[in-house]
Amino acid sequence: MLLFRDEEHAANWRRTKGVAQDGTMSLETGWRLAQLWYADKREPGWRRRTLEEAEAVFAELGLIDDFWRLRPAT
Amino acid sequence: MATDQEIDIAVRVELYRQLVTTGVTPSASDVGAGLGLSTEAATAAFARLGAGRAIVLEPGDPSRVRMANPFSAIPTPFVVTAGRRRFWGNCIWDSLGIPACLDVDATIACSCGDCGEPMTVEVRDGRVEGAGIIHFGVPALHWWDNIIDT
Repeated sequence: MLLFRDEEHAANWRRTKGVAQDGTMSLETGWRLAQLWYADKREPGWRRRTLEEAEAVFAELGLIDDFWRLRPAT
Repeated sequence: MATDQEIDIAVRVELYRQLVTTGVTPSASDVGAGLGLSTEAATAAFARLGAGRAIVLEPGDPSRVRMANPFSAIPTPFVVTAGRRRFWGNCIWDSLGIPACLDVDATIACSCGDCGEPMTVEVRDGRVEGAGIIHFGVPALHWWDNIIDT
C-alpha cells in the first residue's frame, strides 16, 4: 500500500506496473482504517478478526466494492 | 502449566513491549529471556503466531520476525517517528497503524510511489494531516498470498 501525490500519479504507477485493479482512499479514511485495525494490536485480548469482522470494518468505511471482497466469488 | 494459547498471548505482548520500548524487533531468544521461557519455547510460539497471521516470520528463520504489524523489523521507505522512537512501517496503512497502535502523535516520512517526491504525513491529536492518496494495488482477497510484498 503506497502513498501517491494524487490520482494522476497513482494512475501513472498502475500503467507502469501493469496493475489493473486497485483501491484508493483518502488519508482520512486510511487513518480511520488504521485506527480500527491496529488500536488493540498490543493488547492481551487481541485476536485476528474473523472474515465477518473484517468485512464489517471495510463496510463501516464504505469499502464495499469487489476490491475489498475477502471471499472468493461463488 | 500454561497452555499454548496462554504462552502465545504472553509472547505476543512481550514481543510488542520490547519492540516499542527499544525500537528494535526482538528475536525469539530476546522474547524468551523477557518471559523466562526457553528460546525453543518462544520459537514454537512464534511459529504458532505466524501460522495464525498474528505476525509474519522472517523467511527461513522461524526465530525472527519480519513483521509485527504494523511494524516492520527491517528498513522500509516508510519512516515513522512516534514519541521518542523511530520505527519502520510496512506500508502507508501500517505506518498510520503505528500511531494508532501506540496512541501517540507521529510523523511519517515517505515518498510518492510514482515520482519519488518526498512526502510527509502527520498524526496530531487524533487527526491526520497531509496531502496525497492511499493506493492499494492488491485486492484484499489476495493480501496474504504474499504478504511481505503486498
